[in-house]
Amino acid sequence: MTLDPNGYTIQELGPAIKDVEDLEALRSILEAEKDGENRKGAIALIESRIEKFEDDDDAPEELDPTEMSPADIGNAVKSIDEIDTLETMLEREEAGEDRGSVKRLISQRLDSLRGSDEDDDAEVVVEPPEEKHPHLDHPTADKQHVRALEDGTYRDMWVYCETQQGELIDCSREMLGKARELMDEYAADYGDSERVVAILIGDDVERLAEECISYGADVVVYHEDDRLKRFRHKPYTEVFCDMARGAGHPYGREDRPEEEWRDYDEPRYILFPATNNGRDLSAQVQAELDSGLASDCSDLFIENVVISNPVKVGTAGDKKEFERVLHMKRPDFSGFEYSTILCLDNPNREFHPQGASVIPGTFEVPEPDLEREGEIVDHEFEPDEEWFRVEVTEYDVIEGGVDLTGHGVVVALGRGIGDDPTRGIELGLDLVDAFDDAELGISRGIVTGSYNFDGHVEQYTGEDRQIGETGQIVEPDLYIAAGISGAIQHKVGCDESGTIVAINTDPDADIRDFSDYFIEGDLFEVLPRLIDALESGELDTAALASGGATDD
Amino acid sequence: MTEADRDYEHYEAVVVGAGPGGAAAAARLADAGVETVVLERGVEAGSKNVSGGLIYAEESAPYTIDELFDGFRENAAERPITEYHLHNVSGNKVKSFDISRLHHHDTEWSDAVLRRPMDSWLAEQVHEKTKEVGGGLLTDIRVNGLLRENGEIIGVTCDEIDPITADIVIAADGVNSELARDAGLMDWDDPEEWFQGVKAVVDVPPEAINERFGVGADEGAAHLFSGDLFEGVRGGGFVYTNEDSLSVGTVFHLDSLAAERAEPHELLDALLTHPFLAEWFGDEYSEREYAAKLVPDSKKVAHGSPHEDRLVLVGDAAGQMQAQGPIIKGMNHAVTAGALAAEAFVEAKNAGDPDAAGENYERKLRESGTMRKLRPRRYKAASAVGENGVATAISDAVLKSPLGSLGVKALERVGALDRLYSSPFMAMMVPDTRTPYVTLPSVIAEELGDPVDGESAVEPPDLADRIGGLAYDTDIGNPHIELLDNSYEASGVAVTACPVSARDFGGGCYREETVKTNGSTEQVVSLDTQPCVECGTCAVIADTDWEHPSGGKGVEFRSG
Repeated sequence: MTLDPNGYTIQELGPAIKDVEDLEALRSILEAEKDGENRKGAIALIESRIEKFEDDDDAPEELDPTEMSPADIGNAVKSIDEIDTLETMLEREEAGEDRGSVKRLISQRLDSLRGSDEDDDAEVVVEPPEEKHPHLDHPTADKQHVRALEDGTYRDMWVYCETQQGELIDCSREMLGKARELMDEYAADYGDSERVVAILIGDDVERLAEECISYGADVVVYHEDDRLKRFRHKPYTEVFCDMARGAGHPYGREDRPEEEWRDYDEPRYILFPATNNGRDLSAQVQAELDSGLASDCSDLFIENVVISNPVKVGTAGDKKEFERVLHMKRPDFSGFEYSTILCLDNPNREFHPQGASVIPGTFEVPEPDLEREGEIVDHEFEPDEEWFRVEVTEYDVIEGGVDLTGHGVVVALGRGIGDDPTRGIELGLDLVDAFDDAELGISRGIVTGSYNFDGHVEQYTGEDRQIGETGQIVEPDLYIAAGISGAIQHKVGCDESGTIVAINTDPDADIRDFSDYFIEGDLFEVLPRLIDALESGELDTAALASGGATDD
Repeated sequence: MTEADRDYEHYEAVVVGAGPGGAAAAARLADAGVETVVLERGVEAGSKNVSGGLIYAEESAPYTIDELFDGFRENAAERPITEYHLHNVSGNKVKSFDISRLHHHDTEWSDAVLRRPMDSWLAEQVHEKTKEVGGGLLTDIRVNGLLRENGEIIGVTCDEIDPITADIVIAADGVNSELARDAGLMDWDDPEEWFQGVKAVVDVPPEAINERFGVGADEGAAHLFSGDLFEGVRGGGFVYTNEDSLSVGTVFHLDSLAAERAEPHELLDALLTHPFLAEWFGDEYSEREYAAKLVPDSKKVAHGSPHEDRLVLVGDAAGQMQAQGPIIKGMNHAVTAGALAAEAFVEAKNAGDPDAAGENYERKLRESGTMRKLRPRRYKAASAVGENGVATAISDAVLKSPLGSLGVKALERVGALDRLYSSPFMAMMVPDTRTPYVTLPSVIAEELGDPVDGESAVEPPDLADRIGGLAYDTDIGNPHIELLDNSYEASGVAVTACPVSARDFGGGCYREETVKTNGSTEQVVSLDTQPCVECGTCAVIADTDWEHPSGGKGVEFRSG
């Protein structure tokens, strides 16, 4: 017995029991009062104290919102789960200062509590947007929705490997390397070893399968069809989606066979190159699969993420951890900001595959591992003739200028032609003609010079023939540099050539340091003799020497 | 809010350029809670910046960089400059004066700096501060002009991103400020208003610096040179000690450089190879970086009212570069101006009249005494007499005469020369003629100097190697300078005056060419902007349309 109420006046009793929190003790005090003086007021006092603790053993102190700042209230209400308590607070605030912000804070908490109470075991009722917002337009109401899967199985990271002129584009290699890295980390993080699947579509793509494997693919699925030589929106999309949807997929074709290599409905992740064709394909494929797309991404990583957005979580105020989420970073506002895009399932609708298109050059081209092994799958499927209604009747390779690479010999001219620029170019062209497979290049000094060339040689003096850091980089067997001083910017354009022969009047010219043979002399004298020698098949060394040749 | 403010991204403040002026402005704005975005055209702050290399903290200045950025001296500077010498050179004779007193006058401290490390450190601090208030610092963004609405400046336009509107635009975009020109506040017309500085950063190990300059690990020295080293071109040279390198450079009046058809890199080489400097470089001369920049002459161009609508100019953009005799102060004034501009905006905004920021700024420049330092009254008086050709000829003649030499000797005997060189007043009033730069120092050295023995073994790299050693990201097919008149008469002087061009050198920006057409021969100039170090020389002395390269493009200095 802690306290005998009968020894207290009612006024004294309140303060005396205010520190008693033990229910048992309070009940015995109540008994003692009833057994003793049995005062109505005292009984009410003790009972209210008992009631308080019966209600909630660890309820926070009653809060008086009128004495708190809105920020304090915001913090305090988060830990209050009692609707009654909150309602009391709300009433007090209304009766007291009646601050809008405070009432909102309390009401919000009330709403979220009431919400989760109701949701506890009830099915989430999904209202179609047309019914939920009848006053809005619903232009998508007519969409022939390909509904997403329910409880679908998703695995692996697919990489669409675009080709151009029969070869993988660099971005395909970059994505394979990144996918390999991501899925290796994925295996380490989640203990599930899922695969990198390369997708090849075209007329002659099987031969690229091994290359895809060398860059990191575990499986290559390819589809060949002569009609797919050039990218076409509709058939490429249909083929891709047919690949993506496994056997028994509710929206796939009925005769889709089981395949040994896979046991899932759709890919978990898909990467596309953010090229013209890749952007085109990615948008249509992801729409057809009824998922989303983060376009033009510049970074990717996979992580769990805790989300509180009610659309994704289903209940306001709740939080939910999503696992294995592909984080897709992309530039916004012309690169002013970066956003991280997540493609997350809704409670009633799945958003898979998680798809991204990747800006070319974002990731490194990995070193190919020629020893890597992988599975190659021929995707058997007959595209519908109907999908080829749009025909490519004509195409053109955009003029890339002159390609100086891949020739046995490159004759390059520099500002040494300055005394008679037109004659200089003519000599260069004559020398080129004297070889079987040669091209004419020029230094940046000529491109940016003010020389007046005669019309017939002018076409050889533009940027498209420039060799060097800001022009083309060539590696012919033989590089003849006439009248070029050999600044570092030029050197990087020709340094890898087999044999470099330099002709220059200045024996201290930098080019001498990286040429195999250095002829000290004026190109207007040396070049004609070289041309003669080549044409006659005899090298008149005496004549060359008189032009001032040294063998360096 | 104007219509444009609604159409475009809006910040309270846009600071263009993340040098010391921009950094000071942004830091002050952010500290006052102003939403500030800083736009920098380099790949990193400092990658476009060159400085001779001394930053001052003046006792009389309202702001110093270390007050605004805690830890500046420890993190962003090289060595404190604890001694200062001036050397008068005539042939191999050198007469030296200790001008430390002048250096220390009104100086709380002065440190040698390299701009890339300094500015990039500042930028980190600025980014942190401005991020807090909803802004930030963006690199690789070139602001290419002012955004106007109904003729009023309301923001900036950029190469890379959409226009941005702001309540204040602080143009701290340097000596070649495109915004100052867009606003019509500055021009590129008169070579007399400019200096051109050329600098080599030379590797020397820290211990060797301590030993060769007789300084401790936390000490440094500055040496200035004048006299006949430079073919009669008006200007001088300097050597400053960094942690593990020396900044060696020359600064010349651009009009003189152009008139003498002097090659800046050769003038630098003349200093580098003088036997007096030989022992500083040791046996192995290793040049880390070659760089150049223009310097406005504040005496002539510091703008008395550097603002227009919502635009204010700070630092070099406003001509706030004080070069008077041996005193070269730019960065400290930029810091002061940047902070004052920020202060002016904050006060104007708090008073409900943000448009008053420009007027406020002008008043603060005046009341803080900054304008008086930039455009000293004494200079006006002295130049009226001193820059008159007749007066120069007379004083040169007197100095060179036996009488003049006697006078110099007499002055020396009573210690008057030392006092004169140490006088801040003399420094403030030196007129821009040959007399103080060339004639007087030569005579002093000739009469009083001690000969320096030996030859210098220093072999500076040639221009091709210097250009080759710089890093460029060339904007291929999009040259930032257009030669409007390629005749030799209009633009030929660029062949020599451009620090990366030279006569008979095909690898530079400007080349002389002879064009034969229909039997007649013509001297022309051709331009390749690839080797450009963006100093702006040709904008002043040749007929060009000069812009900066787009964000991240062009030259990238590693030391600066």
